[in-house]
Amino acid sequence: MAAAESPSAALRRRDLCSRGIRLAGKMRADVVDLLDAYVEQQGLDASASVAAVEGVPLAAVERWDEQTGTQRLLENLAAYRAFRALLAQMLEEQREQLGEADAGLGRALAAVLLQVSAFAYHLEELLRLESRGIPGEEGDEEEDGPPPPPRLSLFEQKLRGLGVLRELAQWAVRSVRDLRQLAKPSPATGAASGLAESP
Amino acid sequence: AFVPVTPHILSLMPDFPTSTLNLKWSDNGSVFPYGLDVLWQIQILRKEAMEVVTQVTYYSKLTHEDVILSWSWTSDMPLECTSHYVKIRCYINATQFVGPKDWSDWSPSKVIPDTEPGESGVFPLDRVVAVGSDLVFCCVHEEDQHIKNMTYGSKSYTMMQLSRRSHAIRVLNASVSNTSGTNVVCRLENALEGSVVFVGYAPDIPQNLSCETPNFLIIKCTWKPGRPSGLYGERRTKYSLFERTSGKNVSCEVNEVNRDHVCGFPVLPDQKTYDFILGVSNPIGQAQSSLLVDITQRVHPKAPEKLTITGNNSTSIQLRWFINGSFAETRLLCQIEISSSHSETKLGKILPWDVRVGKPQFTWSNFCSMKLVWGDLSHWGSLMRSAFS
Repeated sequence: MAAAESPSAALRRRDLCSRGIRLAGKMRADVVDLLDAYVEQQGLDASASVAAVEGVPLAAVERWDEQTGTQRLLENLAAYRAFRALLAQMLEEQREQLGEADAGLGRALAAVLLQVSAFAYHLEELLRLESRGIPGEEGDEEEDGPPPPPRLSLFEQKLRGLGVLRELAQWAVRSVRDLRQLAKPSPATGAASGLAESP
Repeated sequence: AFVPVTPHILSLMPDFPTSTLNLKWSDNGSVFPYGLDVLWQIQILRKEAMEVVTQVTYYSKLTHEDVILSWSWTSDMPLECTSHYVKIRCYINATQFVGPKDWSDWSPSKVIPDTEPGESGVFPLDRVVAVGSDLVFCCVHEEDQHIKNMTYGSKSYTMMQLSRRSHAIRVLNASVSNTSGTNVVCRLENALEGSVVFVGYAPDIPQNLSCETPNFLIIKCTWKPGRPSGLYGERRTKYSLFERTSGKNVSCEVNEVNRDHVCGFPVLPDQKTYDFILGVSNPIGQAQSSLLVDITQRVHPKAPEKLTITGNNSTSIQLRWFINGSFAETRLLCQIEISSSHSETKLGKILPWDVRVGKPQFTWSNFCSMKLVWGDLSHWGSLMRSAFS
């Protein structure tokens, strides 16, 4: 039986969760706007079906209900770290391909990247609250960082960008649901019982 | 009848990025004791059905030695789209031989296979072409894979079948693409393949090239670029400034969007005359403009800085200000405009009298045009303007 969470910790957790929910909601709205601008600017078909893109974490999860709070946070954190790297790469490709030709899209992309970074940090805060160690970034152990992604053709880059933004929008929705779940007091004791227990 | 030996192709090398075939063969000249005129016919065939695409006649002269002849051909269709075959034959104009003469047999054909088995995609990949080009794009796929359609931009085109695993479309008179290029998309049963093509203009010859110096430290050249190329990012039009006398070359950072075209070139020691060539290039073409200029006749200093005013009595003041630059051998003429509260303006011309050369900054203090609001000494306002005759 996990030790009951102190009232102040529970309060702090609920505060972090509600702020996280607002951040995820805003992020989702911005990603949807960015997606529209991206589709138009890249001359893509909004209804184009994009195969699963390597390296893009999928928001869909089986048995979502059975996940513990820690699992939720850890999966969220891993996802947003992956999106941070993917968006940074998209920004780099955008500058390479377009230069200053479409600064608007570049700025919107940079703004979403900032929000993703902030949300990842927010998730780390929640994990720290539970005195859980923060998992290292993927590739930290490798001396010279993660292997460079395969060189894609320009059309493949455009499709990957579409896949990244679509999945990020889905993740923002899932994050809101996850954080609402975490904010709930545990039904058994009525008091917050920490993340490990709360499904 | 006199029929030459069947020729043999030595090598057939494809250059996929440029869709070019490079052919080499030997003319077997050593077999003939004397120089003779030879006609070669080169046939290019395509697709599994080996349809003749083109037949070209090539002339050469035998020289008692085996000479390796070479010839290149650029396809209107990417080489990846379908297999290409080449064969050659020859006809020797043996004037000394009085009997009938005929063409040799065709050489065995050499084949350039399209893509590797299993490789799929749209070709050409990420190409840059000129506005007005006629383009062929093909979609290579699995044999059993059904192809739904091919679009160029937002428009669907009628497809030509090249082989069981290759379909193509032809786009005529391509128009300039948008900033991220035009997508060529091939929709297959359970897949999406695509490529991007960038359609733009070769750079115009830069107009109104002019160069001046504000400070004898840097020369600033400006020009009018002409029509925008429609190409951006790594495909943008790039500018460089080459000075013939010194051999020095400078690449220019030009912002293709807000289109201010300025390039800085360092003033070189002991050099008054500059023979500039402004080079312009992008993946579609290049152009240049040139200008010969005596920089001492093109001085346009910036407004003076750090004005300080000291007044030791109510009727006389001393002004001091700086013009940043290296005006060592330059005779500066300055102007002062003095207006009092009765808005009476007097124009005075003052020659420099306080000249100090400070090493290493080469700062000068000098008089230049000052508009002063005359009044209570403690409230001096100044509008600095420089004017040189």
